Amino acid sequence: MDMIAYVLKRIGVSIMTLLLVAAITFFLMNAIPGSPFMTEKSTPEQIALANAKYGLDKPLIVQFGNYIKNYLHGDMGVSLKMQEGTSVSKILFSQGKFTLSIKLGLLALLVAVLIGVPVGVLQAYYRGGWLDNFLRVLTTLGIAMPSFVVATLMLFGFAVSMKILPVQSNSLTTPAAYVMPVITLALSPFCRIAKLTRTSMLDSISQDYIRTARAKGLKTKIILFKHALRNSLIPVITYLGPLTAGIITGALVVEQIFHIPGLGDYFVSSILNRDYPVIMGTTMLLAALIIFMNLIVDIAYKIVDPRINIIKKGN
Amino acid sequence: MKKAATMLLALGMAVACISPAFAEDAEEFNLRACIASEPETLDPNLESSVDGATYAMHLFEGLMKYSPNGESIALDGGDSMDLLMPDYGQAESYEVSEDGLTYTFTLRDGIVWSDGQPVTAADFEYSWKRIVDPANAADYGYILNGVVTNATAIQNGEAEPDTLGIKAIDDKTLEITLEAECPYFIGLCGFAALMPLRQDVIEEYGTEWTNPGNMIGNGPYVLTDWVHDSYIEMTRSETFYGGDAGPDKITWYLSDSQTSMLASYQGDEYDFFDDLPTDQIETLTASGDAHAAPQVGTYYLYLSAKNIPDWRVRAAISLAIDRENITDNVTQGGQVPATGIVAKGISTSAGEDWTEVYGDVTTKALAEMYPDYDLETYSGRCELAQKLLEDAVADGYDTTATINYEFNTSESHKAIAEAIQSDVSDVLGLEISLNNSEWQTYTNNLAEDTFGLARLGWIADYDDPITYIELFTNGNSYNYGEWVSDEFTDLVNQAKALPGGEERDALLAQAEELMFGENGYPVAPLYFYVQQYCIKSNIKHAGWTPLGYFVFSNATKE
Repeated sequence: MDMIAYVLKRIGVSIMTLLLVAAITFFLMNAIPGSPFMTEKSTPEQIALANAKYGLDKPLIVQFGNYIKNYLHGDMGVSLKMQEGTSVSKILFSQGKFTLSIKLGLLALLVAVLIGVPVGVLQAYYRGGWLDNFLRVLTTLGIAMPSFVVATLMLFGFAVSMKILPVQSNSLTTPAAYVMPVITLALSPFCRIAKLTRTSMLDSISQDYIRTARAKGLKTKIILFKHALRNSLIPVITYLGPLTAGIITGALVVEQIFHIPGLGDYFVSSILNRDYPVIMGTTMLLAALIIFMNLIVDIAYKIVDPRINIIKKGN
Repeated sequence: MKKAATMLLALGMAVACISPAFAEDAEEFNLRACIASEPETLDPNLESSVDGATYAMHLFEGLMKYSPNGESIALDGGDSMDLLMPDYGQAESYEVSEDGLTYTFTLRDGIVWSDGQPVTAADFEYSWKRIVDPANAADYGYILNGVVTNATAIQNGEAEPDTLGIKAIDDKTLEITLEAECPYFIGLCGFAALMPLRQDVIEEYGTEWTNPGNMIGNGPYVLTDWVHDSYIEMTRSETFYGGDAGPDKITWYLSDSQTSMLASYQGDEYDFFDDLPTDQIETLTASGDAHAAPQVGTYYLYLSAKNIPDWRVRAAISLAIDRENITDNVTQGGQVPATGIVAKGISTSAGEDWTEVYGDVTTKALAEMYPDYDLETYSGRCELAQKLLEDAVADGYDTTATINYEFNTSESHKAIAEAIQSDVSDVLGLEISLNNSEWQTYTNNLAEDTFGLARLGWIADYDDPITYIELFTNGNSYNYGEWVSDEFTDLVNQAKALPGGEERDALLAQAEELMFGENGYPVAPLYFYVQQYCIKSNIKHAGWTPLGYFVFSNATKE
């Protein structure tokens, strides 16, 4: 029952958060100077005409009210600048931008977790050995290197010089197109997860219950993977929430460098172009995604460790 | 053995998966180019960018078009690019009435749309009325203002679009009436925004008429694919009258990342791109990849008459700028130091280069006012700059005030701003603060005139000096520095009422000179543009119009 009440409460809060995000984004984006119709050669008269055409001449509060009303009816408006006249939902979904970004993000997340956790366990198991030391240097380097440096190095090494991978990943239609973007996006989270798992494993291993398990004569593998790892994963799971957001923002750079027509690159362009409906549509979508991921993480907490009480204070 | 075979099979599959990215049909000539990121639209009437116009010039053809004139135009003498000049397009001929106000075009025989229907004069009439209709809020809605009868009134909402001075007499004959004689009108007839359009297609599909499959064009290429933010693919039209010259296919990759573009070019995934990283220009030029083509455009600084009211201070700043240093050491792309606001490449009525006929007008009036100074040399200009500033200080100009220099965020604009900051500080001792902002905020700051100095570039829309000079008339929305000169505005208005000829040229030249004389200097022109580009050495006969468009419909591959 605890769980159902919690989930319902969280969904309610999530909807409120989304509304708040919508309001803040709407008024902030209108507060910055500029107009979607401003070009090097546009006149004030032309801008006024275009504003009237798209209802941008109305008071802000009326515009916001109209936006929310239409949004609730499933209408996210039309692009004012980047694909003038095309509906935002079509741009985000039918043109595959959202799917591309999600495909790339999830794959990077999967790679980071699936490699990061075992590497962390391995480091903890061989603590102080050459493998641990080597991997520690490697993971520290991975965290320290900005993704655009990794991307550029790989681009010029594998694509430009060796020509074994394509420079442009485009719509990720071939397996080769995935390689560099996924590695770039997954490298930093993988290193963080490995470090986190190592620290957390070492912490668990020194706990009394592990000593008890050893005393009972259980095999090391069982102790590590059945008992220690389960507890060690809690900090990793905590990290997955912000990591999702990090991977989405990281995709902005990766999508631009590898020329992937995803959401990230489009989001940045929409802000620079003051394409208000696209900014709103993308922000709401990303906010919903991040809120949803955080919800999943909180639920996962409870599954990993049922002792955690997520409603009552003081736990 | 079995294991080895499995390994080989796996390897083969992996290679097969990767290889499509590089595979290229040996028989098909697919030209791969990148000139910009995703265009706002492919609707010729509604586009306003160079890339949008370039796509339109491949998918459509206007009354006039641009054809090779046999000259190669790369500044380094290479044969990478042919110069294109105005030529008959869908029109076979035209006649002009005695008063120069009525143009009657006769269309070619056998011109058809990509769906096989004939192109008619009514298609032009529809398109031209559509662009001036204020309901469509086209960026280039103003392009016919003051040229075609009633265009200005229609744009201002004072007349109906149907009253525009364009009429299809029959399927083959189009009559256009002008408000006043216009020497650049024939040039306008090749302008990308004025291509013919199919009313039935636009009405059937609405905003989606520009999607592949819906778009019907009359140009050498047909839109066959458009993956947004990734690429636009055009295939050679089977119905175009011009035969089968040029690439079988053109793939326009859509990107604004210089790193990605350069890597794609070096990785042999592009044949052409035109946005070169400044720090790579030297290397790319040395390797024979980068070339430069002259472009009709001027890079200039606004000198705010509101915030720097003393013309002598504005003149002093203009004189203190070492333009040769900027083109030789900062931009390094073959740009030419500006000699006036009218760009190199603009023609006089006799067809000569305006800048060569009228010379350096930025110092002509000062040379007459201050004959003791040698304004041919930078040191002489600096001496006069100091003298002008001293005079202004004697009349109360406060040299301790910091001048605000605004520019839109870009490494090259920043480098230019720093060079100017250094020149003005060294020569005049005036302090300049540099403020950059992204484009939208920047244009807002320009409109609010909060700057002392601010940069802008202007690429000509048509071959006539008025495209530059008119920008600085009283109350013009591009006169961001709020310079006021009744004499200048009168001269421009007088010129606008005249047909092309020596008298008109003389009035416009006088107006341009007035901008750089006593009470003038609303602007400090810095350099005339060149367009840099990289093209693979096996691609020949790509085309370039000096107004800023690359055309590949005649390109060949060796």
